[in-house]
Amino acid sequence: MEVCGAAMIGDVKVSIRDLRKQFVVSHSGIASIKSLLLFWRKRTYVHLEVLKGVSLDVRGGECVAVIGKNGAGKSTLLSLLARIYLPSSGTLEVKGRVAPLLELGAGFHNDLSGLENIYFNAVILGLTREQVRQRLDSIVEFSELGDAIEAPVRTYSSGMMARLGFAIAIHVDAEVLIVDEVLAVGDQRFEQKCLERVEQFRRDGGAILLVSHQLPTVEKFADRVVWLKDGLVEMEGEPASVIAEYVRRG
Amino acid sequence: MVQRELRIRYKNSALGVLWSFLNPLAQVAVMSFVFSNFLRQDVPSFTVYMLAAYLPFIFFQSSVLDSAQSILNQYGLIKKIYFPREILPLAAVIANMIHLAIGFLIMFGLMFLGYLRDPRVFPFQIGTIYLPFLLIVSTLFATGISFIVSALNTFYEDVKYIVQIGLYLLMYLCPIVYFVEQVANSPRNHASGWLLFKLYMLNPVAVQCVAYRKALVAPVPTMSAGGMGLPTGMPWKYLAVHSVGAVFVFLFGYWLFNRLKWKFVERP
Repeated sequence: MEVCGAAMIGDVKVSIRDLRKQFVVSHSGIASIKSLLLFWRKRTYVHLEVLKGVSLDVRGGECVAVIGKNGAGKSTLLSLLARIYLPSSGTLEVKGRVAPLLELGAGFHNDLSGLENIYFNAVILGLTREQVRQRLDSIVEFSELGDAIEAPVRTYSSGMMARLGFAIAIHVDAEVLIVDEVLAVGDQRFEQKCLERVEQFRRDGGAILLVSHQLPTVEKFADRVVWLKDGLVEMEGEPASVIAEYVRRG
Repeated sequence: MVQRELRIRYKNSALGVLWSFLNPLAQVAVMSFVFSNFLRQDVPSFTVYMLAAYLPFIFFQSSVLDSAQSILNQYGLIKKIYFPREILPLAAVIANMIHLAIGFLIMFGLMFLGYLRDPRVFPFQIGTIYLPFLLIVSTLFATGISFIVSALNTFYEDVKYIVQIGLYLLMYLCPIVYFVEQVANSPRNHASGWLLFKLYMLNPVAVQCVAYRKALVAPVPTMSAGGMGLPTGMPWKYLAVHSVGAVFVFLFGYWLFNRLKWKFVERP
């Protein structure tokens, strides 16, 4: 299990400049017209600044890992990349299709079978049904789910969902892959498969942005590590040194 | 993109597709039984008249109600993956358009059966060529309102209840189980100098109901108030105003939806 060597580093796929994100944490519980009218005088807005000016570049063929404490803004950063919401200010440019893996079973419909969900998820990510049909066998084979592919997804274990999600994500011809802590539920064998597939993804010029709390995994997968602290980039560079600093100081 | 919509919509209501179509059909069946046997015996084949106005109303009602919840229902999905948020209310509208089309087919079938039974009266009208135009207007209006309602409901959850009550009341304000001539010729209307009628016709869905009915079905030959003066024929003036209004509603709804859609996920 060697550290991934730097593959052919291509052009910039993800370009982030001074990214800021602020959330409105409370409207004092106003979630209906009724309460809006009743509590009109008492409206309060509490803001929470999660990202305070992050700048980052990710190139094709690179695997960048983001580490940091809970609440540092890692998931927010990834969600912004996946266009779940818009930044409060700053720029965020992505070249190419994005395949996000932000949560187990995200983009799945619980009552559908694994097979139907492959269509559902892949179509949401941008493929046409014909393209999904062509890749169907490959996806099913990679996920190693066997007969369970016919069962509804709500019966899946977390490992199964991770496998299916990852299998779909790498088959949608994405140029940027975003993974938020979902690979932790996989076993050794799954991790090995992911590693190989990620290697191939990078050789094909794709960029990967990864969030994980498992530092050994991060060292294995990443070319570069970014340490996010309180919404700002605290440190960035070689995996070994950043991780050592993070362990020492973070 | 359309494929995507239908895919998502179908999957969302995998169990409910048949029911959501049977529901209005059952309503119509019961209503027509009651009306043709206990009331309105002066009007032959009242069912068809009712259907002609009822179907567009149900289309509007279901589109708006379905889209009201569409975004909150899929909240888990939009929180984790990107797709154009418009798909959700649009899918609701399109699904209901299909129901509308099937409904009209059944109505034409019934009209044809009526013709077979009583060949004296040819039920189909020249006005039927206006049907595509009417469909476009209905769709624009319904889509605009759906955008507005779905966007607002995401932030204020009781919008769907308010809309529900509103629609229920609206049904009585549309000439579905009665004829618009009765409104026009009522003493109250004459007393107010036709103001009542103009106010009545401010209701956009009522205008639609009247237009569909006049376009698709021959005028009632035996209405008890005989040659019931005005209004006869298509309500062109009101329809023209309504069509322009529908375009504006659509544009406004789309604009509002776009402004709010990025905030859906962040609703506190």
